[in-house]
Amino acid sequence: MARIGVFVCHCGENISATVDVERVAETLAHHPGVAYSTDYKYMCSDPGQELIRKAIREHRLTGLVVSACSPQMHERTFRKACAEAGLNPYLCEMANIREHCSWVHTDKEQATEKAIEIIRSLVEKVKRNNELHPIHVPVTRRALVIGGGIAGIQAALDIANAGQEVVLVERQPSIGGHMAQLSETFPTLDCSQCILTPRMVEVAQHPKIKLYTYAEVEQVSGFIGNFKVKLRLKARYVDTEKCTGCGLCITKCPANKIPSEFDCGLGNRTAIYTPFAQAVPNKPVIDSDNCIYFQKGKCKNCQRVCPTDAINYEMQDEFIEIDVGAIIVASGFDVQDTNIYGEYGYGRYPNIITSLQFERLASASGPTGGKILRPSDGKEPKTIVFIQCVGSRDPAKGLKYCSKICCMYTAKHMMLYKHKVHDGQAYNFYMDIRAAGKGYDEFVRRAIEEDHACYLRGRVSKIYPDGDKLIVRGVDTLSGRPMEIAADMIVLATAAIPQKDAEKLAQTVGVGYDENGFFNEAHPKLRPVETTKAGVFLAGACQAPKDIPETVAQASAAASKVIALFSNDELEREPIIAKVDETQCVACWGCYQACPYGAIEKKDITDRAGNIIKQVAQVNAGLCQGCGICVAFCRSDCIDLEGFSEQQIYAQVMGM
Amino acid sequence: MADNFEPRIIAFVCNYCTYAGADLAGTSRLKYPANVRIVRLPCTGRISPLFLLKALQKGADGILVSGCHPGDCHFISGNYHARRRWSIFRTLLDFLGIPKERIWFSWVSASEGRKFADLITEFTENIKQLGPFTQYDKLIKEMSE
Amino acid sequence: MMQSSELTTKAKEYLRIAKVDLVIGYLEGTTKDRRRAGFIRSAEEADNLVLDERCEDNLAVYLVKENLLARYKKVAIFLNPAGIRTINVLASEEQIEADKIVILGFEITGGDVRILDGESVDDFSELIAQLKLKAFDSEQMADVDEIDSLDVDKRFEYWRGEFSKCIKCYACRQACPMCYCNRCIVECNQPQWICRSAHTLGNFEWNIVRAFHLAGRCVGCGNCERACPVDIPLMKINRKLGKEVLDRFDYFVGSSKDQQAVLTSFKQDDPQEFIL
Repeated sequence: MARIGVFVCHCGENISATVDVERVAETLAHHPGVAYSTDYKYMCSDPGQELIRKAIREHRLTGLVVSACSPQMHERTFRKACAEAGLNPYLCEMANIREHCSWVHTDKEQATEKAIEIIRSLVEKVKRNNELHPIHVPVTRRALVIGGGIAGIQAALDIANAGQEVVLVERQPSIGGHMAQLSETFPTLDCSQCILTPRMVEVAQHPKIKLYTYAEVEQVSGFIGNFKVKLRLKARYVDTEKCTGCGLCITKCPANKIPSEFDCGLGNRTAIYTPFAQAVPNKPVIDSDNCIYFQKGKCKNCQRVCPTDAINYEMQDEFIEIDVGAIIVASGFDVQDTNIYGEYGYGRYPNIITSLQFERLASASGPTGGKILRPSDGKEPKTIVFIQCVGSRDPAKGLKYCSKICCMYTAKHMMLYKHKVHDGQAYNFYMDIRAAGKGYDEFVRRAIEEDHACYLRGRVSKIYPDGDKLIVRGVDTLSGRPMEIAADMIVLATAAIPQKDAEKLAQTVGVGYDENGFFNEAHPKLRPVETTKAGVFLAGACQAPKDIPETVAQASAAASKVIALFSNDELEREPIIAKVDETQCVACWGCYQACPYGAIEKKDITDRAGNIIKQVAQVNAGLCQGCGICVAFCRSDCIDLEGFSEQQIYAQVMGM
Repeated sequence: MADNFEPRIIAFVCNYCTYAGADLAGTSRLKYPANVRIVRLPCTGRISPLFLLKALQKGADGILVSGCHPGDCHFISGNYHARRRWSIFRTLLDFLGIPKERIWFSWVSASEGRKFADLITEFTENIKQLGPFTQYDKLIKEMSE
Repeated sequence: MMQSSELTTKAKEYLRIAKVDLVIGYLEGTTKDRRRAGFIRSAEEADNLVLDERCEDNLAVYLVKENLLARYKKVAIFLNPAGIRTINVLASEEQIEADKIVILGFEITGGDVRILDGESVDDFSELIAQLKLKAFDSEQMADVDEIDSLDVDKRFEYWRGEFSKCIKCYACRQACPMCYCNRCIVECNQPQWICRSAHTLGNFEWNIVRAFHLAGRCVGCGNCERACPVDIPLMKINRKLGKEVLDRFDYFVGSSKDQQAVLTSFKQDDPQEFIL
C-alpha cells in the first residue's frame, strides 16, 4: 500500500499569494494513498528539508510529491533530502505549482484548483515510481585522439602531461597537420614550424603518448569510459624498428616526380618519402601506387641501399584493437580547390593558386625556398591579386558559411609578399574584413598602412589570360568603379571545408555533423567541446573553421574534459534509461532503427544447448540517454523508460 | 453556456524546451488561462499516441503537444521522429471525426516563455469557441453506464 | 485459365524436385465462392491447388504465424502484388528471411488471373514501382473522399456507428500479416491503454491504435476487412493513411526489403505546416 507524502511549499508568498496552500494540503490529505500532507513556508530551506526527512521516517513514506517550484530548480535538492532519510531518491517527484501555476495565474480559486490537480496527478504517478539506482560504469583511463594536427597534438600533450595515457592516431606518415605547411602565422608572424616542431617532438618522446602515424580509425564500439577502437595500421613497407631515418633510400628513389601533397602539388617527392624534412616520426613510407617496384616488379633501389635492412615489400595492413575511455576527434579540415568557379577559370590557369599553396611558396622549407615565384615560369610576380571569400559566404554557388580564417591569413599573405617582393603590388578583393581577435585588426591595419596592401571592396567577375598576364575584372564598390588589373599571379582564399571523408568518420565514431559536414558540438554555447555522444569530444577545425589560437584553446578544453572524466574510478549515470521486456519483444527493430544513440543492441536468446532461439532488443546502459523515442515506437509496449514509464504516465494522465 | 465553459486542456511537453519555456513564462510572470495541465516527458519522441487517447478519455477538450524546434532537440532527433508520428496521427484522428482544431502541435523553445503564454491563451480561446467535445463525452458517459 | 494452371503446375514441380518443401496456396473452400489457404508438402497434394479470381486473401499472413518458416528450408507461396509487398515489409522488419521465399506471383484484374514474372521479391521491384505511380488514384479513394467531404461531426457519427458494431473479436488482427506481435497492445494491462470491454470508446481506441500501428506498414491487402464479421470498412482508414504517407513522405509501403519504416525514419525537411 502506497504511503505518499505531499509537501506544499509557500515559497514565501510566491505560491501562497495565488494558491490557497492550506486548502491544497488539506485536500490532498484525503486523497487515496496519501499518508501525510502538509504545507510549509520554504520547503527548500534547511528546516523545510528536515521536515521532509522527519516525515519520511515518522510516517514511513513510500513516495513523495514536493509541490513547489520547477523540478529544473530543486529536484536534486529534494531527491537528496529523500536519500538522506533513507528513501530512494527516485521516489520523489516535484509538482510545479509556482512557474506553472501561481506565477502565471491571478484567480486564486482557479489557481488553487489547478495546483490540486497537478499534485494529484503526480501523486498517482509517484505511486508507480520504481526505486532506481545510479548506473556505475568503469573507466578505462586512456584517451584516443584522432588527428595529429595542432589540435590533436595539443590535446594529446595536455592529457599526457596530466599523467594519463593517450593514443594519438594520424593517417598521414607524419603528424603536424596543416600547421606544418604554414609559413608564418598571424598576428605575430612567427614561423609556424619553429613553434610547432618542438611540440611534435615532444609528442613522439612522451612516455604517456603512443603515436600511430599512417593509421586510421576503422571501427568504434562501446560507450563512455569503455570504447573499443579498431585501428588500421597501413603498410609502410618500412620497418620503423629498424629504420634510423637516415634518408638514403629517398635520395636513391628513381620515382621522383610525384606531386608532393605537403607542398600542395607545387613540388615533387619520391615514392619512398617523408612528407617534409622535420616529419615526426622521421621515417619514410613507400607510396605503393607510385613505387616502380610495386607497379612494375623491378627496382628495389631502396632495399639495396638501406643500411639497416628496414625495407619490407611484403608488409600488409595491420589491425589492432585498443580500449579507451574517451575520444577526442581532431581530424581537421581541408581547403577547396581552385577549380570551383567558371569565372576564375575552373583551375585551368597555373598561376591561379590557393592560399595554402601560397603558404608553401612563402615557406622557407617550401619548393621555392621561400621565394615567391609563380608556378608557370618561375618568375617573380610583380602584381599579385588576392581574392577572398572564394566558395565561402556564397549560398548561390558555394557554401553559406564564413571560413573565418581567410581575412587574417590574406592580410598576412600580402605582408609576406611585400616583405619578399619589395617593388611588387598586392591587391585584395574582399567582401568584408573580419578581423575580430586580439591584435587582429591592428594586424590588418599594418598590412594596409605599413605594407601598402591595396584593399578593394568588391567581387571579381572574371579572370582571363592575356599573354603571360591574367586580367582580373572586378569592381571596387566603395568608389563605384569597375577595376581591371593585369596580374602576374592570383591567390584564391578558397573555403575551408571538412575533410572529404568527414561524414564517414562521424558515423564511425558516432557524432553528429551539420549540413556542411562539420561535426556538431553538444551545445553551441555551453557545451562547445562535447558531442551528444558521451565521452566523445571535439577539437579544432573538424567542428568549424578556426585559427590556431582558437584550435589550441579548444584542444586544451577537450583535454580538460577528458582529464576530468579520468579523475573518477567509475562513472555514475542517471538511471533514466530504457529497458526491454525480453519475453515479449518480437525483434521488429523499430527501436533499433530509431535510437539516436545506437543504444539498442541485438541480443541472442539461446536454449540450454546454446542454439539461438530468437533475438531481442537490449539496451546498452552506457549509451542510452533516456529520451524514450524507442518506447513510443514499440507497438507491443515491451520497451519502457525508467522514470517516465508507461505506467507512470498512464497514472499521471488518468489521475487528472 | 459557452460563456462559463472552462475547457480542459492537457499538454504533453518535452523537458528541455517547452517545459523550460513554460518555466520561463512563470519566472517572467506572464499570465495565461488556468485551463492547461502539463505532463512532462523527457522528449517529444517519448510522447506516444496512447497518451492522447487517455487524455481524451479523461475528458480533454483540447490537447497540446509541444517540443523543441527542429535542430534543437536535446536528444538529437526526437522531435523529427515526433513530427512524422503526429503528422500521421492527427490525420487519422481527423478522419475518424476527432477534429484537428482540438489537437495543437507547437515548437516552443526554452527561451520562448512569451510564445508559450500566448499559445495557451490562444488555444484556450479557440477551444472555448469550439465548446466542449460533446461527441467524445458521450462515449465516456456510455462507458461508465 | 491456362495461365493460372501454369502456376499451380510450377508449384507441383517445385515440390517434386524438392526446390521447396512447402507450398502455401489456395484450395477449394467450404462454399463454392470461397477459397482457403492450403499448406502443401508433396507433389501429389499439389493437384488440389486452385488459382482463380476468388483467391483474394493475402497468404503472407501465415509466414509469421507459429514460427512457420523455421520448420521449412524453402517455401513457395502464392501472392498477389499486395502479398509481394508484404514480403518486403516483413523482411525489412526482420520477421522473415526473404531468400527462403519463392514467390508464385499473380494478379487478379477484372476477373482474370495474370501470372507475374519473377520468384524472388527483388524481381518484382519494377512492378511495385509501377504500382506506386497509380496508387491511391481518385477511383480507389472515392469512398475515402466521400467521408473526408463530410463535416467533422458527421465523420465522428459515421465512425461511431461503424465502431459501435465492433465486438472486439480481433479477427482483423489475426488476418493481418503485419500484426505479428507476441502480445498485442490491447492485451497489455499494465497499464491498460486500450479499454477492452465492449463499449464504443474502447472500440474507438482499439481501431485508432490498430490503424496507427499499420500506418506506413499496411500494403492494402484487405485481409482485415474481409475478416471483419460485422463489416467495418477498415480499408477506408488504411487507404487514407496509405495515401497520407505517400503524399507527405513519398513513402510507398513495401517498395523494397531494405526500406526503413516510415515512423522510424525522418527527413529534416519533413512537412510541418501543422506545427505552430
